[in-house]
Amino acid sequence: MGPEVERELIRKCKAGDSRFYEPLVRAYEQPGLRLALGMLGNLEDAKDALQHSFIKTFETMARFDLSRPFGPWFFQILRNQCRDQLRSRKARFRLEALDERLELRPADPETGPVRIRERAKAREILWEALEKIGDEHREILILKELQGFRYGEIAAILEIPEGTVASRLYHARRALKEALEEIGAVYP
Amino acid sequence: MSERVTHEELMRYLDNEVGPEERSRIETSVETSTELRRELAVYRAMKDDLRTMQLHEGGDNGSIWYAVNRHLARPLGWVLFVVGALVWAAYGVYVYFTSPSFLWQKLATGAVGVGILVLLASVIWERYRVWLTDPYRDIQK
Repeated sequence: MGPEVERELIRKCKAGDSRFYEPLVRAYEQPGLRLALGMLGNLEDAKDALQHSFIKTFETMARFDLSRPFGPWFFQILRNQCRDQLRSRKARFRLEALDERLELRPADPETGPVRIRERAKAREILWEALEKIGDEHREILILKELQGFRYGEIAAILEIPEGTVASRLYHARRALKEALEEIGAVYP
Repeated sequence: MSERVTHEELMRYLDNEVGPEERSRIETSVETSTELRRELAVYRAMKDDLRTMQLHEGGDNGSIWYAVNRHLARPLGWVLFVVGALVWAAYGVYVYFTSPSFLWQKLATGAVGVGILVLLASVIWERYRVWLTDPYRDIQK
């Protein structure tokens, strides 16, 4: 969806017409679900967070500044929703659920069965380590590695200066490395 | 860590967030520092593994739009329902008091209306009391 089309849809939504919200929801639900799943670790809570975020986004649309991009604003709302859910007793990062959902990309270049098993095991260990490092470290790693956002986008979503992103990423990666060492994983 | 390359610069280099000049300077430092090379290799390997991970997103369960739309449309539905019910109730009261029907007919109609309201209120009250004392009410299904 082009930025002009997106802006026009938002303008209509700001007027209160929810029919024009559908293309926006459909455009952002997959990346949104990836982010929520990465932060919450299970599909049920992730979908719950996503639904609440879309509703909250529409309800606060009147305050949205049309000169800003919609994506970071929505992901910011979603991230706050995930954090609220993690803080409440309703949800917590559930590794068990996440483990079952690990799968290899179809285009994985390493096709040997032993290598695939090794890689799958490495990913399981990584998730175990991700669970240990805490929400703040995990969220920035999810935004960077699973979502592939640039530093500017991450800064907008996390509401931090762009210069802080590299520092936060460094601490998150170092925490992940230490968590892996605690598990007994030699990396790389 | 090398004196010339900070942790933050290393991260920006790893994430391809540096300009050509900064990249060249960092690459020179990496080439001359075993420690930096090792650190970069560790972070690069972690990054690669994280990036090749894919989460199962529940298959084709349909768009979340329908659930969102149901919720967005609900307030409008309630407004229409309440406004319509109030109009009918006002008209009913008007007809009730201005109708030339017999008194027993009015009393019977009034009893039916009040009876329905009492039954509804008692069901709501009962459900509320059960909810208040339910020990599992905070457990998510």
